Amino acid sequence: MTHADDARSDDPLSFEEFRRSFYYGSRNDLNFKFFSNVDDDAAADLLQNLLALVGDAYDTGDIRPLINAAYLAQIAGYSPAPSASRSPHTYDTGPFTPTAMPVAGSTVGLITSSGHFVGGDDPEPFGVKGMTQDEAMDRIDEFLRETPELSLIPSDTSSDQLLVRHGGYDITSVVRDPNVAFPIDRLAEEKASGRIGAVTSTFFSFPGATAQGRLRRELPGWLDRIGEEEADVILLVPV
Amino acid sequence: MVVMVKAFEHVAKRMTLPRTLITRNPMGRPLGAAGDTDRQIEVLDAAFDLMDRADEPGTIVELETPFRPGTYRS
Repeated sequence: MTHADDARSDDPLSFEEFRRSFYYGSRNDLNFKFFSNVDDDAAADLLQNLLALVGDAYDTGDIRPLINAAYLAQIAGYSPAPSASRSPHTYDTGPFTPTAMPVAGSTVGLITSSGHFVGGDDPEPFGVKGMTQDEAMDRIDEFLRETPELSLIPSDTSSDQLLVRHGGYDITSVVRDPNVAFPIDRLAEEKASGRIGAVTSTFFSFPGATAQGRLRRELPGWLDRIGEEEADVILLVPV
Repeated sequence: MVVMVKAFEHVAKRMTLPRTLITRNPMGRPLGAAGDTDRQIEVLDAAFDLMDRADEPGTIVELETPFRPGTYRS
């Protein structure tokens, strides 16, 4: 999905083209792909603010205002416009099952859309062996039309055996530490400390950038498999 | 029980999910920065507290602790 027409060249880019290049373009940056959703004035204001905060940090050494500014801009960038049409995934009521026991006595399962899998058990999307993250980003359009595959991850897997690939978000943090989105070690610690009763033998993950209709068709089978774990509580971490 | 970042809170609201914990974290880091074990545990504890306390669908609680930059070193 890289936009070849904004490839770096001697031709000057408009600010809009520059802004859009962060969304799977020549300056692709999944932390800031929301630039494509904001208008030129908002994007310019953000950049000006970020640069000012960098200047301030020269003296203070405090980067938290810088991070906070980027964080707030991300929220604004993903907020639906007031004129946006009602999403087909809008529900006026929702399911709710009361817990049968406190979490401290419960078996906890985990499902994430972070795209994690165990090394050696690569789902090999599109039949590609060892697809890299860059390749996944380049093929994001195909992923968004594809049936997702659910990866099964034994809950006693060492976190250094986990791999991740997902063309829809910046995976820098989860590569460094899977627990950022797939808290396998933290759940083991919560079990050891007695905060939870137990964990299921298998956790699950899939790349959430996928065809939502195809995902819905896969769900009955997925739920049957997940149900085999007999979790009392399931932690869902969408990314 | 869903843990998600603030940027997508509007999704949790419109879908009326059973129980949602919102974290004030950047996208891609729902439980916190890489290596920030204490914050990751804090998020899980808050999620489990919500699991114990929520009594109706559409319950959304925001963890007010701001994102803490990590100290990761390669």
